[in-house]
Amino acid sequence: MKEIFIPGRAIIREIVQENKQIKTFRLELLDKTQSFTFRPGQFLMLSIPHCGEAAISISSPPTALPLIDLSIRKAGVLTSAIHRMHSGDEVGLRGPFGTAFPVGNFPGHDLLFIAGGIGLAPLKSVLDYCLFQQEVEDDTVQRITLLYGSRTVADIAFQKAIEKWKNQGVDCRLTVDVGDPDWSGSVGLVTELLHPDIITPQTISLVCGPPIMIRFVIAKLLDLGQSETAILTTLERHMKCGMGLCGHCHLDGKLVCVDGPVFTYAELKLMNIMEFS
Amino acid sequence: MLDLNEMILPKDNLTPLLRKLAKDARLIAPIKNSYGDTLFTVIDDIDKAAIDLENQPQASLKPYLLPQQETLATYRNTEGGYIFAEADEEPESIYFGVRSCDLTAVLYTDLVFSRPVKDSSYFKRRNKSLLITIGCNHPFSNCFCEASNSGPYLEYGYDLQFIDLGDAYFVSAGRRKGLDLLEKWLYFFRAVTDSDREKRYQLQLEVRGKFTQNIQVSQVCQLLQDHEVDDSIWRKLSGRCYDCGGCAYVCPTCTCFSVDDAAIDENHGLRLRSWDACTSSGFTRMTGGHNPVDRRTDALKRRFLHKLKYDYAEHGKPSCTGCGRCVDICFGGVDITTFISLAAKGETV
Repeated sequence: MKEIFIPGRAIIREIVQENKQIKTFRLELLDKTQSFTFRPGQFLMLSIPHCGEAAISISSPPTALPLIDLSIRKAGVLTSAIHRMHSGDEVGLRGPFGTAFPVGNFPGHDLLFIAGGIGLAPLKSVLDYCLFQQEVEDDTVQRITLLYGSRTVADIAFQKAIEKWKNQGVDCRLTVDVGDPDWSGSVGLVTELLHPDIITPQTISLVCGPPIMIRFVIAKLLDLGQSETAILTTLERHMKCGMGLCGHCHLDGKLVCVDGPVFTYAELKLMNIMEFS
Repeated sequence: MLDLNEMILPKDNLTPLLRKLAKDARLIAPIKNSYGDTLFTVIDDIDKAAIDLENQPQASLKPYLLPQQETLATYRNTEGGYIFAEADEEPESIYFGVRSCDLTAVLYTDLVFSRPVKDSSYFKRRNKSLLITIGCNHPFSNCFCEASNSGPYLEYGYDLQFIDLGDAYFVSAGRRKGLDLLEKWLYFFRAVTDSDREKRYQLQLEVRGKFTQNIQVSQVCQLLQDHEVDDSIWRKLSGRCYDCGGCAYVCPTCTCFSVDDAAIDENHGLRLRSWDACTSSGFTRMTGGHNPVDRRTDALKRRFLHKLKYDYAEHGKPSCTGCGRCVDICFGGVDITTFISLAAKGETV
């Protein structure tokens, strides 16, 4: 039996500085004899020499394979270590793990992405995937809107991607909690961008960000008449295995790593969880 | 025809049999050490080993099948790359004197490590183990296996089950490996007589009357399926939990773990798995300090509900085997029996 905690070798092909704290690492698995694919919303366990592993969402779409993007905010020992690494350095990857966003149900719907900070990373995979589908298929998602909140103007990450999305027809609306004189855009919390006209009967909302943001955004979406099954979010939990074994991400009878991380609000509200308590 | 599924081992033949077994495999049995502690120990010399079948081993088999710390893999990070390699193979092991509660725990652990994926490191050990249980004729003071349906005698799951008839053991084979063992060492055994069977039956009836604890395990498991436990109970229990992790460590069915890498030198290291405890605050704390579990109220919630609510819902059986070890170890007095009695009193909404 092959040891399930051994990662595959991956090489850093490119590093994109997204803001002061966030870098996107463009990785490629070395072993081409093992097939690898994933669905938007899934995550990987990233190994860094002498630092162990961390669960990281994939921020690129499967259509970009063999390249795999992991967008990582410098926060702890492991994430600081990868921030010191360079193109050509090696890391380890296990996965993919967890549930994906139900992209198969999206054709014919309007998509509303609502993200805060690094929370855009897992949604970016879905957004890029949907844009790719729009190019190649007729029956696909309709309007795509992105509401993206950052703390300050300097904290706005994924600016390259956002510019590209704007050119591809995505309605991108940015806001910062704290404005500055050079910022002509919106100032305030991301919930303030949630105007009634943004939600149509065909809207599916995808939410990711800090727990408190998720909580207030979902409350506002419900106020605006969004149905509970059309609100999707992805939860972040401490994880050690990704495979439903270690117990760390246990959540009211479910395991975030196998039953999630993607949940509808209809599923979440039945559970006793911190995000909504 | 001789029924190999049930045989009698005269007590005089036990040591000679174990001596034979120890030649083919690593033999592990409860040994009383010089401090008076009874622990499962690898037996090097069967003639010098003080096998203790009178006392409950203070630790279950868990440290052998899921070691407190184990090497899952080794790695090197050199010019040649960042490359992992499998850890060493495990020896064939025979465990003798395993209590029914601990065998039940092993069966549960088999399930946990089979779904949704098979845990290779666990099964590396498990597949090389042969388990010989001893039915309990005298429950220990904190035991309640009868209430948790995991003893004192077992119906299945063991390779061999020994029942002490006084001057001999009534031996039943429950799995192929056990049957093979009986077949191989047949000359140590004799056939079962009607009087042996009668004796075994009487002992089984007697032991059921010897339990001093009346813990309402299944009643509470059922109650928890559609009732919330009142917050005041969780607060009361959490307030007396000192985050020592003792309950999780002695618990034969607590299998939550952590995986960390440890450097040996600049270019080499180990991927280690260690026991972890959901009762500790670091269990859920994320990078940056955010913690989705509030220890002040919920320190023990996850542990008790996992064993009595979620596992009961999934397997029709709680994952508390009634071994009573957490009762012995918890100095806050907030072990699972305390919770069961509070919940049974109906402090649920």
